[in-house]
Formats: sequence, structure tokens, C-alpha cells
Amino acid sequence: MNNGLSTIALIGNPNTGKTSLFNALTGQKQRVGNYPGVTVEKKSGLWKLNQSESVTVIDLPGTYSLSAQTIDERITVDVLSGNIPDLSPSLMVIVIDAENLQRNLFLASQASELGLPIVIALNCWDIAERKGIQIDSKLLEKRLGVPVVPTVANQAKGIESLASAVKTALNNQSIMVRPKWPEPVQKAIETLKEDLSQIDEASQALSNGEVQRLIFDASSAVTERIKGDKLEISGAINKAKETIHKGGFHPNAVESIIRFRFLKPILADIIARQATLKKASHSESIDQLLLHRFWGLVIFVGMMYFVFQSVYSWSGPLMQLIEGGIAQVQSVAASALEATPMLQSLIVDGILSGVGAFVIFLPQILVLFLFISLLEETGYMARAAFLMDKLFQWCGLNGKSFVPLLSSYACAIPGILATRTINDKKIRIITIMIAPLMSCSARLPIYILMIGIFVEPTYGPAISGITLFFMHFIGVLVAAPAAYLLNKCIQRKTISTPFVMELPRYRVPNLKSIYERIYESGYAFITSAGTLIFAFTIIIWALFYFPRPAALETEIRNQNTVELFEEANLQAKIDSAYLEQSYGGQLGKTLQPIFNSSGYDWKITVAVIASFPAREVIIATLGILYSLGGEMDENSRDLRASLKNATWEDGKRKGMPVLNIAVAFSIMIFFALCMQCGATVAIIAQELNWLWAIGSFVTLSFIAWIASILTYQSINFFL
Amino acid sequence: MQLNQIKDKGHYKVLKMDESQHCISRLMDMGLLPGELIRVRHEAPLGDPISIEFRDCHVSIRLKDAAFLEVDHLTQSK
Repeated sequence: MNNGLSTIALIGNPNTGKTSLFNALTGQKQRVGNYPGVTVEKKSGLWKLNQSESVTVIDLPGTYSLSAQTIDERITVDVLSGNIPDLSPSLMVIVIDAENLQRNLFLASQASELGLPIVIALNCWDIAERKGIQIDSKLLEKRLGVPVVPTVANQAKGIESLASAVKTALNNQSIMVRPKWPEPVQKAIETLKEDLSQIDEASQALSNGEVQRLIFDASSAVTERIKGDKLEISGAINKAKETIHKGGFHPNAVESIIRFRFLKPILADIIARQATLKKASHSESIDQLLLHRFWGLVIFVGMMYFVFQSVYSWSGPLMQLIEGGIAQVQSVAASALEATPMLQSLIVDGILSGVGAFVIFLPQILVLFLFISLLEETGYMARAAFLMDKLFQWCGLNGKSFVPLLSSYACAIPGILATRTINDKKIRIITIMIAPLMSCSARLPIYILMIGIFVEPTYGPAISGITLFFMHFIGVLVAAPAAYLLNKCIQRKTISTPFVMELPRYRVPNLKSIYERIYESGYAFITSAGTLIFAFTIIIWALFYFPRPAALETEIRNQNTVELFEEANLQAKIDSAYLEQSYGGQLGKTLQPIFNSSGYDWKITVAVIASFPAREVIIATLGILYSLGGEMDENSRDLRASLKNATWEDGKRKGMPVLNIAVAFSIMIFFALCMQCGATVAIIAQELNWLWAIGSFVTLSFIAWIASILTYQSINFFL
Repeated sequence: MQLNQIKDKGHYKVLKMDESQHCISRLMDMGLLPGELIRVRHEAPLGDPISIEFRDCHVSIRLKDAAFLEVDHLTQSK
């Protein structure tokens, strides 16, 4: 990062167009990473100020305040006070929404205390002008003491003036005016600084701004920097708070009161509104409809249905195209490599299906992110969260979890990616953890197969429909208490954000930023989760391919004379025999006792294990195991007949049918709850870390196992 | 009365805020201070949360957080 260039930090409230400005400054030259130790996205890029000079720009998370209630605010304070290694900005550009000066300048005022020179970008200038709001930016500049540059970030207007203002500010070290603190606050700051330097000498270097954060914030990031006895440190801070209290101010409120009081005269006569303007804004009349208690809900349900349908079925043709394309390549490769069977299998069943295994998710991800960025850009996402919030409150989630969870019904991969719209870290973790429990479309084949064999013939289509609905609902029954428990468990460690959510003005979405969001999510998925999914597929392929003694094939061919068996049947029999003695097959036989109480024989156990990388694989695996070949689908008559007639090969249940309604439900419940999806594990690792990924994998598999036993045993008991 | 107990939408004046609450500090950072005028604009379909507007800023707050705001109803002058 430190390539000898100055670093500039970009900060601002949410919904100010800060990210648009960042994109306009840096173009495509961006780098995305994480801050050390936390999963807060760190975006940086190169900004060419002029022909000869460039600076590094860091896009800090959007925040209303530096008050350290969220991880984003803590990171912002850490970066701005130069406390992140290799990242000490020499200037900050503060993005301010021209329509909301006072609230935006509050953050600027807090940040100014940290001592860096400041340039203010007065963004959305065009919207303000169109609404008849005129801002005297020259007067504001004079009063604040720092350059104020009008910009229209999404049209890249004002960027050149911003560049020259940054250069001037770097040279002049322009510092913004600061409020004069009342006597007790000043005294508290001074004494706290003294007290702290007695605990840790390094504290002498703390700026006034950092000491203020210690006093004003409930859990300041600065506290962790002071080395020494924790009790002594908090004692000193409490003493400072007490000083303020005695002076007649509340330490939690004094900052807001003083800063807003300070900003008021600065903003006097700065804004001129045209009197002719209608008072009620467009946003307000749109809200009359979209937040209406009845119509708002109707429109919401309609919109969500539309989004869900697009992800669920309209990305279907694209997915079929990808599937068809890969199958085409596979068949070409298969015939080209016929002479070398192992290489053939590696390339066709290993590598090519490995590529297919993650590319297949792209259409859903891209379609979902098209809608998510539209919902966010227009400002509707916050309204959706507002409408749905009550449903989620009791288990510690909020309305923002709705869209990711709904998307997970199509596929957990785009659903988990969609949790990026949740800014509360804890709620995001919980939502990611329960997303795999939403019944995704890959579970449908096994439901259809089992219901088709064991429910429909006996109980008719109506009960079958109810069963299918129930299977889609069972995940929620587990997810709700799981969320509740997770909320209780994580509570102590993570700071939770109060659900005070801005409902931003509606805006016309900017095509460029929509394109960027879609591109970003697709690119991140392919480069990080994609490679992992690919690796999983290869490993599982090897597990079920090796060992492969040639003698086995000869033996089967000798046993069965060609007159009795057609070549295709013989090949299916050979494939089945190889699968049975492969490492994966042996593993299935070894693990079968674990699933004994769930009613699975070794074949079902093998099929269950083989479908851990992707649950839909179970159909093809069952096809191979019953010597029907791998090209079976859930509607295949042969497969249904084979499953219905399968009997136990040995043990005390020898000769009895393997599958009955109890086993069928036990399998369905297992598939509904188990995280048999390598892609989901990979995406959780990408979005959180490996600990969460493996933890959720183990937990869900365990829950699924227990549930499958309970299902099997109780159905057997009652029927 | 407390903001979670109001019966009508419309204009209110904030009398007192419980500064020790996280959500209240958040609202204060956004510029909602004692003495400020607010307008209660919407109520979610399930009755919670509500949306309030102050200083050109429209936010959603939950009823349990609204309980920390003491307000007085203003009769509309329109």
C-alpha cells in the first residue's frame, strides 16, 4: 500500500454518494481487501490528481458519527488517527450531501478534531439545485476554513476542482474550525490526558480528538491502544465523565449538543430555498403509497415475488445454457480422450464439472444483484426493512435480513452475498448462519423423487402438495430458534447497532454504479468461492474414482456374457461396482452404522456422502449405485422402481425393503437441514471466515442427522 | 408522554431524551436534540417500527427505542 504516495481518506454519511465519488476518482484501479483482524471491507484505489501526481484513496465505511457504536465507526476512527499500520492518511475528503448540510457537517466536525487537513466535497449539487436549494459554498468555505467543492459524483462533475483543492489543502494544511468546549469538558479532556499518561506514557501522543472519543463514546476504539491496567484506564475515563456530569452536562449528549449549537451560526444564511418550491417533496408522496399500511404491504409482496421469480426461474434459461454448454464440452472431451480413461474421467467428471459447479451460480447471483442494487440505489431497500422489521425483532434480527433470506430460497449463494446490505455485523453473521436452512432449489429434486415414490401413490396429489410445502417450511422452524440462540450467544462479544435506520430520499438509480455492484459481486464470487468449489469437486471426484483396479472390469465382463447383457447395461454394472469399492464407497459402508437409526443402507449412505459437495448429486449417484447409469433425473421411472424394490443385502433386516415412507421422510428431512453444499461452505468462508464456515457445516450436519433419526424412529413408531 | 405511546401521527416537540441509551446517542448524532420538532410520518404494517422526520431527515425507529423519547403533541397550525 505504501508506495511513497500520500494517502487520502474518504469519509461521509451513508447515502451521500460517497462510493460514487470514490469510483469517479479512482476509476477501475481499485483494490478490495479487509482491515487487519476484522471483516470490514477495505477499498482503496489510485487517484491521479494531475499529469504528474497521484494519491492513494481509501474509501471508509459510510457512517453518521465517530461514536464507535459499530465496527465501521471504530475502523474509521482507527484509520483517521493513523492507528492502522501502513495506513496513515495525510488528508481527508469529507463527502457531504448538499441537501442535508447540518447532519453531514456533524461528522466533519467530529473528524476535524483528529487533526488532519480537510477538503469538503459538497455532493449531489445538481439535485439540490433542481429542488431550488441554493448553497453559498464560498461563504461556507470561508466560515469553515477549509476548501468546499461542489461535486456531482455520479456524473463525475467537479472532480478536477476537487483535485486542485486537495493539493492546496495538503500544502496549506487547512484545518476546519472547531467548537469551543464548555469549561467542564475542557477540564475533563486535560485531566484525562494527564491521568492516562501516568498509566501509559505513550498516551501523551493522543490528539484532543482521540481523548474526546474516549470520553464521549460508550466503547471507544481508542481504549484498546492504551496499555495498562484495564480497571485503572476505565477509572480515569469515568472520572472524566463525572467531571462533565458535575458541570451540568450529560457526557453522552454533550458532544451532539455542542456541535450542533456550533454549526448553527456557521450555516446561517448559507442555504437559500426558493419560496416557489412546493413543500411536500416527491419522496414524501411516494412514501405515502409505499409505506402505506395496506398498499405498501401489497406492493412489497408483489415486488418480492417479482425478485424471487427472477432469481428462481428467470435465470433458468441462462443456467440451462451454461449446463448445456458444459455438457457439450464434456462430451467433446469425453470422445477425444476415450483412449485414456483416467484422464478422461479427471477432465470430464472432475475438472469440467468442477468449473460447472460454480459457474452455474453466476446467473442467479447476477440477477439478484441487479435487483438488490436497484432496490438500494432507489432507496427502497430501507423501506422494505421498515415494513418487515417487526417479524424479525424477537430473534435479534432486523428487517434487512428479509431480502437475503428470501433469496436463499432460490439459492443460498446469492442470498449470503446479499447479506452485504446488512450493516450490523452481528445481524449479518446470524443471517448468514441461518440462510442455508432456507430450502433452496437444489433440494427440490430429492423432495420430488421421494414424494413421487412414497407419498403420491398412497395419499394422492393434495397431500403431496402439502408435504412439499411443509418441506420448504421446515428450515424456518429450525432457523428461528437457531437465530434466537445465536443472538444470545454472540451478544456479549459484539456491539450491536441500535436499529435507527435512515429512510433516504428516493433517487433515480445510476446505471454505472449498478453495473459496478453486479460486476463486483460476480467477480468476488468467481475468484474466491469459485476456486474453493472447484477444489471440493476435484477432491470428491478422486474419492469416488480411486482405487480403480482393471481386474474388476474384466471380472464383471467374464461373469456376464455379452449375450445376456447389452453393452450399456454392462457398463452401468461396471460403474456401479467401481463406485462401491472406491474410497468414497468404502467410506459409505464404514459410516453406514451412523445412519442405521435413520434407516439408511450403505447405498443411501454413499449417496448422502457423495452429495456433500452439492446435494443435487444424490440423484445421479443413486442412479449409478442401482446400475442405471448417472443420467437419471428425479422423474425417471427406472430409478423410482429400483428404489421402491431395493432390499437390505445383509444384517437382521435382510430381504426387507430399504425404502419406505419413514426412510423417505428421514432422507428429505436430512436434505432439508444438512449443509450439503460445498459452495455454501466456501461462500461463508469468503464472507466471514473458516471458523464460521466449518462451525455451521458441522452444526447443521449434526442437526440434520439427529432430525433424520427422530423422523425415522417416530414415523416407525406411529405407523 | 413517551413517543411509543402516541396515538396520532403528526407534529411533536421533543421534551426529554434518555441520553444513556445507544439509540438515543445515535439520534442525537443525527441532529435530534431536546427541543427539536419532529413529525411522525408512518407506522409499519405490524405497528412497529414508526418513521419520524426531523431536520430533513427521515428515520425509522422501533417502539422500544421510542420509549426513551418524551414528546409533546403540537396542534397543527395548518
